[in-house]
Amino acid sequence: MPTIIACFKWVIDEAYIRRGFSGDLDFSSVDYKISDYDRNAIEEAVRLKGSHGGSVIAMTVGTPEATKGVKDALSRGPDQACFIADADFNKLEPSQTAAILADVIRSRIVNYDLILCGEGSSDLYAQQVGARLAEHLEIPCISFVQKVDIDGGQVVAERRVEEGIEIVAAPLPALVTVLPEINVPRIPGVKDTLTASKKPVMTIRKGDLAPLGGARLQTVGMTAARMDRICEKFGTEAAEITRFVDALRKKAVIS
Amino acid sequence: MAGIWIFAEKREQALELLNIGRRLAAKTGTAVSALLPGNPDAARDYIAHGADEVLLLPPLAADQSCEAYLPVIVEEAKTADPDVFLCAATPRGKELAARIAARLETGLCSSCIALNYDEGGKNLEMERIAYGGAAIQKVTCLTRPVMATIPPRTFEPVTAEAGREGHIRKLPAPPPSRVRVLERKVRTRETRDITEAKVVIAVGRGFEKPEDLALARQLADALGGEIGCTRPISEENHWLPQELCIGLSGIQIKPDLYLGLGVSGQIQHVTGIRNAKVIAAVNKDENAPIFGVADFGIVGDLYDAAPKLLQELKRGS
Ligand SMILES: Cc1cc2nc3c(=O)[nH]c(=O)nc-3n(C[C@H](O)[C@H](O)[C@H](O)COP(=O)(O)OP(=O)(O)OC[C@H]3O[C@@H](n4cnc5c(N)ncnc54)[C@H](O)[C@@H]3O)c2cc1C
Repeated sequence: MPTIIACFKWVIDEAYIRRGFSGDLDFSSVDYKISDYDRNAIEEAVRLKGSHGGSVIAMTVGTPEATKGVKDALSRGPDQACFIADADFNKLEPSQTAAILADVIRSRIVNYDLILCGEGSSDLYAQQVGARLAEHLEIPCISFVQKVDIDGGQVVAERRVEEGIEIVAAPLPALVTVLPEINVPRIPGVKDTLTASKKPVMTIRKGDLAPLGGARLQTVGMTAARMDRICEKFGTEAAEITRFVDALRKKAVIS
Repeated sequence: MAGIWIFAEKREQALELLNIGRRLAAKTGTAVSALLPGNPDAARDYIAHGADEVLLLPPLAADQSCEAYLPVIVEEAKTADPDVFLCAATPRGKELAARIAARLETGLCSSCIALNYDEGGKNLEMERIAYGGAAIQKVTCLTRPVMATIPPRTFEPVTAEAGREGHIRKLPAPPPSRVRVLERKVRTRETRDITEAKVVIAVGRGFEKPEDLALARQLADALGGEIGCTRPISEENHWLPQELCIGLSGIQIKPDLYLGLGVSGQIQHVTGIRNAKVIAAVNKDENAPIFGVADFGIVGDLYDAAPKLLQELKRGS
């Protein structure tokens, strides 16, 4: 029966980011969430467990505050969590996150069969951690997956490519990154939250890991994207519709 | 012949990368090498379009996909030691680039939309979209090669130059891959390219059933435009093909007029219409985020407003 690892990231909910006066990002009223596509990865891991048995480990690298995310993840069905935490882990770039995950999986998780990741995180959407992790572990990688199943000793997946769709197979253990179309993540109920708090969490600190390599990519700027628009509102009465169409004509965008 | 390397699955993407490659090579006085998968006949064409060297990747086995080139490309890159390595950000290209970067132990700027050398001409500063489109992140790569994936249609294709010369070299065939392709389903592109359309009517989840898309279509016809949509419409409802999905994970458009119907205006969608001349919207929720980024917004039910708009457009013309 398969052991499945679902990786997730606890991220800032981008919907709450405001543009500051000087074009900086205003994070003062933000909330956090499990990155959107990672919710699909967790859901898919739990779904596969439902049809093949086995167990699911939810795994994240983050700051100590991500403990909320660990609870959230566990309320979505995994059997246990692995939380790699350090106050510095909010500044990691993809190559570092992948190296940390690889280190932990190699040293502490024996005999895993499948690793599921979201195709990209909703904050930086670099789409690198899954692919890099597979390279570190020297296992096959299948990305952009919209359908997946385990069939004996292999994983069979339907992935998006430029020309359409490819159905591919790879021997286990393997890593798969999923698109949101793969499933509809559950919304945990009160009971799920209660059971989640009883599930085991393996917490790993920076000191327990092999020394972390330096960043290869350096962020030298982060500014709010500009979107200055007129923001004029109209109603649906006949006169308002005429005024709206006139406004478009004045801008010469319609004839 | 280190310098700038480019890799793309398709010719039109390669021409866009060659455009960037030539510009960077001119700045740093280096050469441009293009990896060409599959068809060796295109080598001369790539040279005419700015490649100083073409590295031919032999055709793949029937059950292989382009990431099978990974070990071949990595070996060659280790010997040639390029300064910069650009890949087209197609699904295969993105995965391949991330895995190459892992093996070469270097950094990668994903979905890079601008790249320029800094004042000293030493560091390549690369820009990308972050937080779903709310922010622009600027990065530099501290290791060699500097890697980036470039979304198709972000840069203009390069034009051919007569009399250009270059080397052509064949790389070894890739070994068998562990990921085997069992079946391919080619998507038929039934729709037109809306990236060049003057008017785009975007369909959002405010539409209740697929038949109702006729409303959007009639408006598009009246304005000589095309239809696009939000991600849930194409990916969840499958009401429209995926190549019409506008936004972060879809296409970028720059029409004179974008009109969103029943579109909430989440940042991931809006980032795809940033370059529209005028943004207009119909949404029944006056607090919908789309009104914060639209020039002209009708607060109301699209089923009420769209027919009235159509009538007004017909009356006026
Ligand atoms: C990493 C990532 C990438 C993404 N990439 C993309 C992308 O490329 N493109 C994209 O579009 N999305 C993308 N999304 C999804 C995006 O966040 C939104 O979920 C999506 O754009 C919402 O689509 P919508 O506006 O159609 O639906 P909703 O958000 O559900 O909005 C529907 C709107 O219709 C209005 N409405 C309902 N009924 C009516 C009516 N009768 N008349 C008028 N108005 C009505 C409602 O008030 C509401 O505002 C991405 C998300 C993530 C996390």
